[in-house]
Amino acid sequence: MINQLLLNALFAGCIYILIAVSFSLIYHITRFFHFAHAVVFTSGAYFTYLFHKLLGLPVCIAIPIAIGLAALLGCGMEVSVYKPLRKKNASPMVLLLASLGLYIVLQNTISMVFGDDTKSIRSGVVKEGLLVFGARITPIQIVIICTSIVLVVLVALWLKKSKMGKAMRAVANDAELAEISGIDSHNVILWTFAIGSGLAGVAGILVALDVDMTPTMGMNVLMMGVVAVIIGGVGSIPGVALGALLLGLAQHLGVWKISSQWQDAIAFIILFVFLLVRPQGFLGRKVKKVSV
Amino acid sequence: MTYLLHILIYIGIFSILSISLNLLVGYTGILSIAHAAFYGVGAYAVALMALQFHSPFLVNLVLAVIASGVLGALVGIPSLRIKDDYFIIATFAFQVIVFSILNNWVSFTGGPMGLPGIPQPVIFGIRVSSHVGFLILIVILCVFTFWFSGRVVKSPFGRVLRAIREDEVFAQSFGKNVAGFKVKVFMMGAGLAAIAGVMYATYISFIDPTSFTVMESIFIISIVIIGGAGSLWGPVLGAVVLVALPELLRFIGLPNAVAANIRQMLYGGLLVAFMLWRPRGFVGKYGFNK
Repeated sequence: MINQLLLNALFAGCIYILIAVSFSLIYHITRFFHFAHAVVFTSGAYFTYLFHKLLGLPVCIAIPIAIGLAALLGCGMEVSVYKPLRKKNASPMVLLLASLGLYIVLQNTISMVFGDDTKSIRSGVVKEGLLVFGARITPIQIVIICTSIVLVVLVALWLKKSKMGKAMRAVANDAELAEISGIDSHNVILWTFAIGSGLAGVAGILVALDVDMTPTMGMNVLMMGVVAVIIGGVGSIPGVALGALLLGLAQHLGVWKISSQWQDAIAFIILFVFLLVRPQGFLGRKVKKVSV
Repeated sequence: MTYLLHILIYIGIFSILSISLNLLVGYTGILSIAHAAFYGVGAYAVALMALQFHSPFLVNLVLAVIASGVLGALVGIPSLRIKDDYFIIATFAFQVIVFSILNNWVSFTGGPMGLPGIPQPVIFGIRVSSHVGFLILIVILCVFTFWFSGRVVKSPFGRVLRAIREDEVFAQSFGKNVAGFKVKVFMMGAGLAAIAGVMYATYISFIDPTSFTVMESIFIISIVIIGGAGSLWGPVLGAVVLVALPELLRFIGLPNAVAANIRQMLYGGLLVAFMLWRPRGFVGKYGFNK
């Protein structure tokens, strides 16, 4: 029993890690709350559904196309809305409100095109899971856990080592100073959106492989990711990973005692506790409240 | 005629919501995504009081406002100390927790089945039952909300709020307790939102959690911003436009399922467009240019 709960927690944590890292990448570099990230996540699943189920392409072709289109969707938002706003020196609040608007428009577009009912990209019969340490796990869940861990490690390495990764960290640290050193910050931000949105698309597909999809699924998962980011600390990938695992653990151990429909409430109560006691998260640096 | 009255009543309810949210968004510069939660708290408070204890309407109204205000303080005190983005997430969290309670605590709130049979208000022995009666009552409450928020923003208290909106550090350097002011205005906003909830519950006589979702909160934010944040008339204008405009879609003859999506896309699209080209809204005085 306890093994199964721990496994479920690990699994949930791996999903949260991916969405949390993709969100915090964009948040850390652009400094505004990109709500529409939720719909990018959802779009990954629906693009896969479109190409695989409706157009009949094999999964191994449909998934890369879907990830590419999700990345493109994120870049599209950046180019058409966020960049013009940034050029006008709009405050993070304006960008946030615009992203809320984008979220509503795109989520409803998905609802209109595909319908509000649950869609599935799984095929074949449901197999009984493998037995690992007395806990059942389906092969697809193993794939999900591995994909998520590999991607997060790759992103962390890439941020540390590659030239673009370094440029991103420079822009996150001080956009103006980065510009002076010859870094094209708009270009860096565009890349950030591409990678963050691509990752979100992957997360969407993984979730859909496990529990199918609905047009509104994105917001909930995104908020769980955000909770993980806050628990772990903005700007630290190990912190975010830790936060995601802890969140998964808390939610699934909570289910042991109380019914599963309270999982969202558990997550957000943990968030409140953290905001009260340690708003900078586990591994984050203390947030400077003001800069003069 | 009944249809027209119905729309006017809705405009009234959303005017109360947006005027109260404007105190936070427009005058203090803090964005809350929990307004629908306070709206819901008001609605459920009045429904439960009336159904369980059969207490009189005016008592329920006052209690609903107090309950919502106290809840506002409980949320505001921890979350208003921290920076903007985290506050927004905290309000989002509160919104989800409230929805989760309304939806899952079936024995108390009726869960997804909602609460039917909420009695009509009786004020000094007069039963409000017709559309006209409701409209009059809502207009009175709307005028009260408008007057109250006018009083607040024109008072020295309101001046401090605007100072916080423009420059928090500056306000603090003058010895103002910024967090304290924010909590107070947040409580006011929450309490006033409950009035709208009370009117909605007694007017429709049935409530369920779907009326008090995050989407509804975003809708109220859109009303404030499109109408014009930081002006007294902006939210009213926004409510008229955003409640009445989708009704026009009915006359084009769109199927109901699509109409709901189009309605949301309409205000989502307007929100993006206004942010891009006119962040002050129609008549607003604050463009979030902190």
